[in-house]
Amino acid sequence: MLLIALLACPLMAAALAAPRSLGRGAVERAGAALSGAAFLVSLVIAARVAGGGVVSIGPEEFLRADSLSAVLALIVTGTGFVALGFEAAAGAAAPDEEGGAPFRRYHALAELFLFTMLLAVTVNNVGVMWVAVEATTIITAFLVGLRRSRAALEASWKYILIGSVGIALAFLGTVLAYFNFVQRVGATPFALHWTVLSRVAGALDPDVTRLAFVFLLVGYGTKAGLAPMHTWLPDAHSEAPAPISAMMSGCLLPVALYAILRFKVVVDACVGAAFTDRMLILIAVLSVLVAALLLVRQANYKRMLAYSSVEHMGLMCLGSGLGPLGVTASLLHAVTHAAGKSMAFLLSGAVRERYGTSRIGSVRGLLRAMPWTGALFAASVLALLGLPPSGVFVSEMMLVRAGFRAGRPWITAAVLVLLVGIFIAVLGHLNRMLYGEPPEPLRAREHPRRLLPLVLNVAVLVVLGFGVPGPLMRLLGRAAEIVAP
Amino acid sequence: MTLASSLVLLSGIAVLWRHSLAAYIRAFARQSFLFVVAIVLIAAQTGDARLYVVAALVLLMKVVLIPNILQRVQRHVGADLEIHPYVNTPASLVITGALTLLSYAVASPVTALGSLPTRGGIPLALATVFVGLFILVSRKSALSQIIGFLILENGIALLAVLATSGVPLIVELGVFLDVLLGVLVMQVFVYRIRETFETLDVDRLKELRH
Repeated sequence: MLLIALLACPLMAAALAAPRSLGRGAVERAGAALSGAAFLVSLVIAARVAGGGVVSIGPEEFLRADSLSAVLALIVTGTGFVALGFEAAAGAAAPDEEGGAPFRRYHALAELFLFTMLLAVTVNNVGVMWVAVEATTIITAFLVGLRRSRAALEASWKYILIGSVGIALAFLGTVLAYFNFVQRVGATPFALHWTVLSRVAGALDPDVTRLAFVFLLVGYGTKAGLAPMHTWLPDAHSEAPAPISAMMSGCLLPVALYAILRFKVVVDACVGAAFTDRMLILIAVLSVLVAALLLVRQANYKRMLAYSSVEHMGLMCLGSGLGPLGVTASLLHAVTHAAGKSMAFLLSGAVRERYGTSRIGSVRGLLRAMPWTGALFAASVLALLGLPPSGVFVSEMMLVRAGFRAGRPWITAAVLVLLVGIFIAVLGHLNRMLYGEPPEPLRAREHPRRLLPLVLNVAVLVVLGFGVPGPLMRLLGRAAEIVAP
Repeated sequence: MTLASSLVLLSGIAVLWRHSLAAYIRAFARQSFLFVVAIVLIAAQTGDARLYVVAALVLLMKVVLIPNILQRVQRHVGADLEIHPYVNTPASLVITGALTLLSYAVASPVTALGSLPTRGGIPLALATVFVGLFILVSRKSALSQIIGFLILENGIALLAVLATSGVPLIVELGVFLDVLLGVLVMQVFVYRIRETFETLDVDRLKELRH
């Protein structure tokens, strides 16, 4: 019942966008309220499964949430709540400014986007999970192209093409896993259920399993924005309206990583963890490296945030390959990154509205022009850089500890050096934006009331900055046990 | 069955030596039709009624519906030629040869594990996937890129049918829905690209760098 309620919230909100009798304000408030409700439901689910239990419904646990799903559901609904709440508080946010695209369609698509992500993390069948992740590509391609400028069009074309191909390769991997199962265990209607697959993983053929994982890693890795398949990400994330960028960076990327982790469980049970760990670490280091190189000379602050997502996905991917402590750190990092990045993207939308450009060079005196927005934007970027005391610092330190404990000191040290490089580069960009004389005349005034929903992000970042509360740590620990027993 | 798979692969390769987008679309429709024939043959051998449903769906979607959509787009935007691909015809054919050999190497553990009589076609299906990918990266028109994606998709679907007589129906239906929606969305973007850039040449899409 909990799971049905969770999935029903965004669907209801999407349906509410249809009737013309409801005004725009009402649709936005209903959307924010329903995503708040979804967040509460996922909190209840998290409390239920933190002890190691499972919430499920349907034949052979069709919908199923364990602690790993619960962590992701919290991230998705939390980010969705803040993004939609931000928009409702803004009153007249993204779509009008973004070229007057029809608001109702925009809102319905944003809600469906949330629904598909929640379905992906709560469905037991890995085939249906694939369908849900693929659906996110189709939905978000429209949302990215909303602004109809040449750049937005280019971004969405690249996005839908690269995204579709990537996800098609993930399907090839899924087919190979199914084939493997049918050959070794026999055909059953539930062969694609993750619970069934992981139970019989030991009986699978190791070579085919490895081959399947390569396709799955490349496929879902494309959606997760991992290098070298990240090329669509900076375009799509910088051209989308701010609330959509917030959701794409904060939750869609970790959802794709979640899909990889689910398969990692199956593959590890068959061929041992060393194989998947090595591949994850390789791709992780490459992602952080690429992000560092492109962050140094970045001239556009939305693209700066997008490349920072590549960096942070790299870190999560690294943690996933470093044993139980690493996976715990990686999931904690997914939480702190979602809080920091969605806040930064939402604020960047307000900055763009005010200055009318996303060029770093054209934004001057942000702290004087928009004291609240500027200060919060600076705080979120500094938090994302891992400056203590912020949650990101705590999760990154845990990651480093996991790296040394897993016997990978050199790789960990190399990544740390890259992080320092990123820190210096981004701090320079941020400084140029914050200080100096604001150019006149500026559009639109600052509305501090709009910023209210960000209280949740700030709370998460600050509280986690002083240590992870017991219940959350238990939940993360349980989830890590699933991925790396 | 190996013969049928070879024909599917060949009709994919056919795209590489043609220059007209209309021929690309016809090649895709022909490939999909051969794919339907392959499914029906397997269905007749195994007596699996579910496969007839899948065959009917593929026939409706990939032989009739999607080629029609693409033809309409192509007539509407009027651009007919893929004039300067990144890789010329002879080099393309050599590369496809190499890709086919590669897929035999990659697919060897899969073929070894297979027990169905259809397993001989598995490397050919994988080669179709690679050829689709190659068309996608080596051709410049937005429309040929869609064709490349669809050929890649056909390869994966063929692999699923050859190796396991198809994935469970619920997944199959979801995949059909996603492909159809994907093509519809891509079609919308092709119109918009044509409107905004006055060409389908994606080489012109280069505002976003770094």
